Amino acid sequence: MSNPDFRPGSDDEWAGLLRQLRLQAKAQPQPFFYARVHARLAAERRPTIAWLPAWVRRPAYAALLGALVLAMSGDGPALRPASPASQYGGYHPGQPAPH
Amino acid sequence: MAYSLSLRATSEPPSLGAGASAADASLVAQLQQGSEAAFRTLVARFQDRVYSTAFSLLRSPEEAEDVAQEVFVEVYQTVDRFRGEAALSTWLYRLATSRALQHRRRLSARKRFAFFTSLLGFANHSLPEPPDHAHPQALLEGAQQLQQLQQHIGRLPPQQQVAFTLRHEQELSYEEIAAVLGTTVAAVESLLFRARQTLRQHLQPSFRYV
Repeated sequence: MSNPDFRPGSDDEWAGLLRQLRLQAKAQPQPFFYARVHARLAAERRPTIAWLPAWVRRPAYAALLGALVLAMSGDGPALRPASPASQYGGYHPGQPAPH
Repeated sequence: MAYSLSLRATSEPPSLGAGASAADASLVAQLQQGSEAAFRTLVARFQDRVYSTAFSLLRSPEEAEDVAQEVFVEVYQTVDRFRGEAALSTWLYRLATSRALQHRRRLSARKRFAFFTSLLGFANHSLPEPPDHAHPQALLEGAQQLQQLQQHIGRLPPQQQVAFTLRHEQELSYEEIAAVLGTTVAAVESLLFRARQTLRQHLQPSFRYV
């Protein structure tokens, strides 16, 4: 397949460029690559906390759950007044009205 | 375009001899029995090819290392499912290319996120560009064109990029590339033709001044 748009003079340069690309493509990993793969495998094999559901093990969900628990627990009674200050419940006839 | 590679059956690459196939089959059988020595042999035999494929697609030693490690971990964990319908090297090239493209997508998403957060003033820093170690003198010569070529390869559509990289950097045959991509030789020819055409059109102005 040929393309008439290509200048004929650039074919050699293109071939040379591809040769350069091929030559510099021989990248190699750093030494002791196997040791690093082995370490990664060992890390992935480590037992996770299996009794927890998977979504709890995600930090964002765990933080959200924690915030929800904090918001819903304990603060309600503390913020409420100790005795109900109802204007109907606390007054009996015969007693002086509260000021 | 979404690009994924699966563990499906493909034809044996013809460039692999019967000896290589038998050796691979034996290696796979040992791996499936959990032999650590076989795993070490596998890594030693394929680490350069897997790493350099990932490096060609990512142009970052750290990312290529990460992808290469992921590939071998995945091989170790899923070798039981490998039925030998494709060559071992084909499977490894598939894993390497699909993992590398996944990494690239993730990196692009992270870059976009960093850009938007910097626009909104949430962060004072953005992800650094890959370091440019090229000497100015070298840039004046062919290295400049090579650098341009690599940049344009990185902008090709994923399938064209993989086909081009496997052909011109890993020196795989058309049949091997077809096996890796799970397509036909004619489709590979078409991918390569379009990739070369695009690249040469982009590089044409710089050829003019050489």
